[in-house]
Amino acid sequence: MPSVTFDHVGKRFGDTSIVEDFDIQVADGELLVLVGGSGSGKSTILRMLAGLETPTTGTICIGDRDVTALPPRERDVAMVFQDYALYPHMSVRENLSLGLRLRKMPKAEIDRRIGWAGEMLGLAPLLDRKPKQLSGGQRQRVAMGRAMVREPSVFLFDEPLSNLDAGLRAQMRIEIGTLQRRLRTTTVYVTHDQVEAMTLGDRIVVLAGSRIQQVGRPIDIYRAPVNRFVAGFIGTPPMNFAQGRLGNDGGTPVFVADGVRVALGRDVVDEGTADQPVTLGIRPEDLRVAAAPHGAAGSPDHALAGRVVLVERLGGTSHVHFDVGPHRMMASVTSDQLPDVGDSLAVRVLPERVHLFGADGRTLRT
Amino acid sequence: MKTLGRVALYTALSIAAITFIYPFLWMAASTFKPPFEAGALGLMPDNPTFENYKVMWARAPFGRALVNSILVATTITLAVLVLGSITAYAMARLNFRGRPLLNAVTTAVLLVPGQLTLIPLYTLIVQLGWIDTYAALIVPYLFNATAILMLRQFFLQIPQSLIDSARMDGMGELRILFTIFWPLARPALAIVAIFTFMGSWNEVLWPLLVVREQQLMTLPQLLTVFALGGGAGSLGVSLAAAMILVVPVVIAYVFLQRYFIESMAGSGVKG
Repeated sequence: MPSVTFDHVGKRFGDTSIVEDFDIQVADGELLVLVGGSGSGKSTILRMLAGLETPTTGTICIGDRDVTALPPRERDVAMVFQDYALYPHMSVRENLSLGLRLRKMPKAEIDRRIGWAGEMLGLAPLLDRKPKQLSGGQRQRVAMGRAMVREPSVFLFDEPLSNLDAGLRAQMRIEIGTLQRRLRTTTVYVTHDQVEAMTLGDRIVVLAGSRIQQVGRPIDIYRAPVNRFVAGFIGTPPMNFAQGRLGNDGGTPVFVADGVRVALGRDVVDEGTADQPVTLGIRPEDLRVAAAPHGAAGSPDHALAGRVVLVERLGGTSHVHFDVGPHRMMASVTSDQLPDVGDSLAVRVLPERVHLFGADGRTLRT
Repeated sequence: MKTLGRVALYTALSIAAITFIYPFLWMAASTFKPPFEAGALGLMPDNPTFENYKVMWARAPFGRALVNSILVATTITLAVLVLGSITAYAMARLNFRGRPLLNAVTTAVLLVPGQLTLIPLYTLIVQLGWIDTYAALIVPYLFNATAILMLRQFFLQIPQSLIDSARMDGMGELRILFTIFWPLARPALAIVAIFTFMGSWNEVLWPLLVVREQQLMTLPQLLTVFALGGGAGSLGVSLAAAMILVVPVVIAYVFLQRYFIESMAGSGVKG
């Protein structure tokens, strides 16, 4: 039985549609990540599940209970907010226990739960402090503890790591993932950061323009994005794109653009798509870079001729930015032999890793 | 040069401070002076006496007036805080039909001078048969547009996530207001309380209109009637009556002053 069911949920504010036809089931114990840019509707979906907003259309069920019209306190969900939303005038202990006290839970049980969460999150020495006296990471843990002690049937996370600096963010991301796998509580996690989505999610829902773009396991979405938006949104560094046309070179399908000619290793050209404008997408790690003799041109063996404009050395890998005709592209390389700015490059494309998008942005072929 | 400028500045400030505080100290000192000494400018009475207070106390019911004033001002202040913050919370944080209209009307009320509503309000009180009652002194002041707008402005700054979080913890709106907003809005509440209390405490005109019974008179009203009506008889007695009026306000201010200083940084903890 799914733990959370969104049944064709929609939300409008006046004439503005925020969420359209959101239809998803979250499995028991699953961590589902909603990822998208601002205005994609991801936070509104979470707030509707929390009971802080009412859907305009559709229903939401938790377990087999229709909660669409229930107030937040009757939904058995707990939420971690982006700014933590700790009560500033209460100690950590009071922050943790407030929700339990309001539910008239016996004191012994409250103490047991605070002890349990405090130990799990390392909050025990902080229980008598005020939120003001805590660091960002500690506040984050208190916010998580407050959700945990409720022992809810669903955890909600609303961009919980956005206010932390990069190092702490990576650490807390690991902690959240570990914690969720230990507790196995059904979790819906909202973020705009695709790295969080990739690393945390059992499944990811990519949202844009109020609609679901794609749902799936992180690696599936990474390997087979259904449209150009998803392809560009998921993955760091982002996918390279070049606009051009599909052609046929003596029976071999080719992608042709200004300065670019890529033989496609599979049969992507049919009657309908021949000579259509298309966009080629290739991830930086699917490009192989080698210094090229001056004047080398793109050849049918999947090579692009480029000129290096920038090299970012990150240590383990480096990002080589180069121009191919009018297209700025980037290759992610591990080689020690990095080209210099201004060098000519021969860039080999792994043909089986090429993505093609039609004029409407949808991925061509299956 | 720098030192000279500083000396000049502090001298000027000291003169200003003395100019400000001297009349008050003189008033306080004069209440302890016998009549023949009352006009002197010195701050130390040569023949200290409590006679002025005894005379004042004997001639008019100042004790009762003090109780009346405390009762009226306290009731009004509490009502303005409770009713005002409920209204302000709704205006700042709840969505309902007519909210923009309510905001506009509340602001418009500020533009109407009190003297303009004096006569209609008086007529209303007469119609209700409230002349010579506490209700006449208290009820017209239960809602205060300035207080509502001040509190609304403060409530708007409290992060929405705190409300969301409280709702998920299981709180209703009134509980959110009184257990989350009130502690965070303490500086704003203190300012509203001080101004409301002072305004009510010092009000003379309205009590003069609706209360004629001496037993119901507030302190400033009785003082006005007493001093202007020639009941005091001497300067010392008049000033002693004025002291009774001023001292509670000064005490209240000293007591609440720390809330002004207390940092407003406590509202909304972010990372």
